This record gives sequence, C-alpha cells and structure tokens, in this order.
Amino acid sequence: MPDGSAGRNDTRELVACHQCDELQYIGVLAPGQSVRCYRCDALLARNPAGGLLLPILLNLGALLLMLLAYFLPFLTLEIQGRLQTTTLPGTAKALYEAGMGETGIVVLLTTVIGPVVLVTGSLYVLLGVKLYRPLPGLRHIMVWIGHVLPWGMLDVFMVGVLVAAVKLSDMANLVVGPALYAYVALIVVSTAALSLFEPHVIWARMDRMGVWYRAR
Amino acid sequence: MRASCLGLASCAVCNQLMRLPARRTGLCPRCGSQVYVRKPASLSNSWALLLAAVIMYFPANLLPIMTVMYLGSGQPDTIISGVIRLMMHGDWPIALVVFVASVLVPLLKMIVLLYLLLSVHRKSTFRRRERTRLYRMTELVGRWSMVDVFVVALLAALVHLGVLADITPGPGARAFAAVVILTMLAAMSFDPRLIWDREEDCQ
Repeated sequence: MPDGSAGRNDTRELVACHQCDELQYIGVLAPGQSVRCYRCDALLARNPAGGLLLPILLNLGALLLMLLAYFLPFLTLEIQGRLQTTTLPGTAKALYEAGMGETGIVVLLTTVIGPVVLVTGSLYVLLGVKLYRPLPGLRHIMVWIGHVLPWGMLDVFMVGVLVAAVKLSDMANLVVGPALYAYVALIVVSTAALSLFEPHVIWARMDRMGVWYRAR
Repeated sequence: MRASCLGLASCAVCNQLMRLPARRTGLCPRCGSQVYVRKPASLSNSWALLLAAVIMYFPANLLPIMTVMYLGSGQPDTIISGVIRLMMHGDWPIALVVFVASVLVPLLKMIVLLYLLLSVHRKSTFRRRERTRLYRMTELVGRWSMVDVFVVALLAALVHLGVLADITPGPGARAFAAVVILTMLAAMSFDPRLIWDREEDCQ
C-alpha cells in the first residue's frame, strides 16, 4: 500500500499476522503475487492478477446466472410417469413444509441469501473502487462481505446434488432442469469472481479514495 | 515481534494495524469495526460452542435424517445407515464422499478443536506452526459437512408422490445442521494467536 496506513513515504506496509500476531513488512505485490507469514505460514495478502474489470464482469455474469439458477426448474423427478419438479430455493421450502423451518433457513442462507449478498456486495464495492467513487456504504458492505464469506456454500450444495442423484438412481428418472446448468456455470463464475476479490487490495484502494471511518 | 507486545492490534475485518493497549478495545479507524487485541472471551466461547456441538452430535447420528417410503415400504435412515446403504449398493465413491463429509470431518474437527483448546490451556509450545496449520484446515474444511443437509433438502423437495414414493426429512438432519454450524462458530471464536502467546516472547 504505497500511500496507505504505513504513512510516510514508505512503500512497505507494516502488518500483524492475523493468525500469530507477528509484525512484518509486506512490500508492493506484483499482480498474481501473494505473501505468507514467515512464522506461521498464514496467507497475509495477495494481489490477484486481472485487475478490477475482470471480477466486475464475472460478478455481473454471476448475478445473471443467479436469476436463472434460482427461478427456473432445477431438477425433475419421474416415477412411473408421474413428475415432481423443484427449484433450488424450493429445497428450503420443502424442509419448512415438513416442519423443519430452521433447517430450511440454514439451506436458504447458505445457498441463496449468502451467495446473493456476496455477489451483489462485491460487485457494488468493485464498481465504486473501479470508478473511484466513494459510493454510500462502501465500508459497511466490505465489513458485511467479510462476515458472510464463510457461509456461502454453493459449491457444497453441488456435492449434495450428486449424492441425491445417486440415491435416486434406481428409484426414479431424474431430468436435469435448465436451472441446474445455470447453477453449475454459477459455481464456476462466482468462484472465479471470489478468487479475484481480495479485500486487502480493495481496502488499500479505498484508503486512497479517503473512505475512512475516522480521519486520522 | 508480536504486535500485542508493542501495544498494537490489527482489525479482524480489514487488517488495519492500530495502537491498542492490552485488554483494551477501540474502533478501527479504517472500517469502524470493534478491534480487540485478541478475540474477546475466545476460549470460553469456543469451549461452549464445541460442547454444544458434541452434545448435538448424538441426536445428529442417532435420529433419522430422513424416511424413505417407496411403493408402500421403507424405513428411516440415519447418517451411518445411509452410508452403509450406499456401500451395499456398490456406490463406493459416493459412499466415501458422504462418509468423509458427514462422519469423518465433523468428528475430526471436534477432536482438533478440543486438542487446540487444551494445548492453549497448557500453554504448550509444541509445534506451533503445525497447530496453526491444523486450525486453518479445520476452518477450511468445516463447511463441506453440510452436504448431507442439502441431500435431505433436495430429496424432500423432489420425492413427494404419495404412496408411490415419499421422502420426509427427519429431526437428525436438523441436529446435524446444528453440529456443522456450531463447529464452524467454535472454530471462528477460537483465536489462533493464543497458540503463539507467551509472556517471554515480549522481552
């Protein structure tokens, strides 16, 4: 962070490792470079290659894919000519209807609400930073993204789909709905978008834009 | 040198370094979050959440996660019986995936957290780098245990064809979701910096 919190005109930044508290300097990172803590090997910071435009486009794509993945038919089951279709959020609803609303909420939070917050939130922040506009709430949204990050489980749900398909294989025919294709694409696109979204880089950019909680 | 030895602390949200004397708290100048030198009440929170997870682990494994009715007959399935059914059916890869995600990972995660908590209480200096790595692994891998909850949700949503075939979710799935969330929260409340904290190191 050339003109950030280290102050003065140092190009190095003093950071404390968040896993062992060891103080160390990190220099300016080249695109694609990352640094690890010399003491405990935790990831200190990365500078993903590709700049800001690529993650913006990927998040836009993810947003569009979400519309398809969440609203179109996800899977259809066929047993002796009888059909049953569900959407992805419909799986949470099924739990609710069976009297397990809390579990339904967990499914909804991890597969729909969490990912939507992450994609729209990081898209908003990336746009603000890319356009160099201190859009309202940039700081708050960055804080929220950090809290929601561990709870997005789109990729885990995919394994659930595979297991469910195997379990149903000799009972019924499964017809893959359009939402499932969109969902597989969504996993790829949103994972790529997330891997290019590095809070360290965003905060440093926001420093330069003067988006601070309290002026120093 | 550790940051806390110099009266410095880094924000858990944005990693901003700030001046903060021990046992004090303040607002991060950059993101406005509450900053602590160490996660507050890390050990007691982590112990409480881990204990809750261990307690929930019993209903999660003893109660049925779902009941499959097919052509008028069927039986409730627990997590283990579901794995055994997949194995007997010859679906080895999928049985292995479910076994690892639903049985091995939650169990190992609880054992690792127990070990880390005990080692911090004993002020152990044994292989701190590896123990920190162990902590990172439990944080990384915990979410994958949710697979079985998603399987139950999918099957419950798809198989609703009356006497022909019907799958109803069972209370075991609820308990199992609780185990996954509780172990994730227990890992999040644990402060790995405690592994490295020793008074002597500040001198």
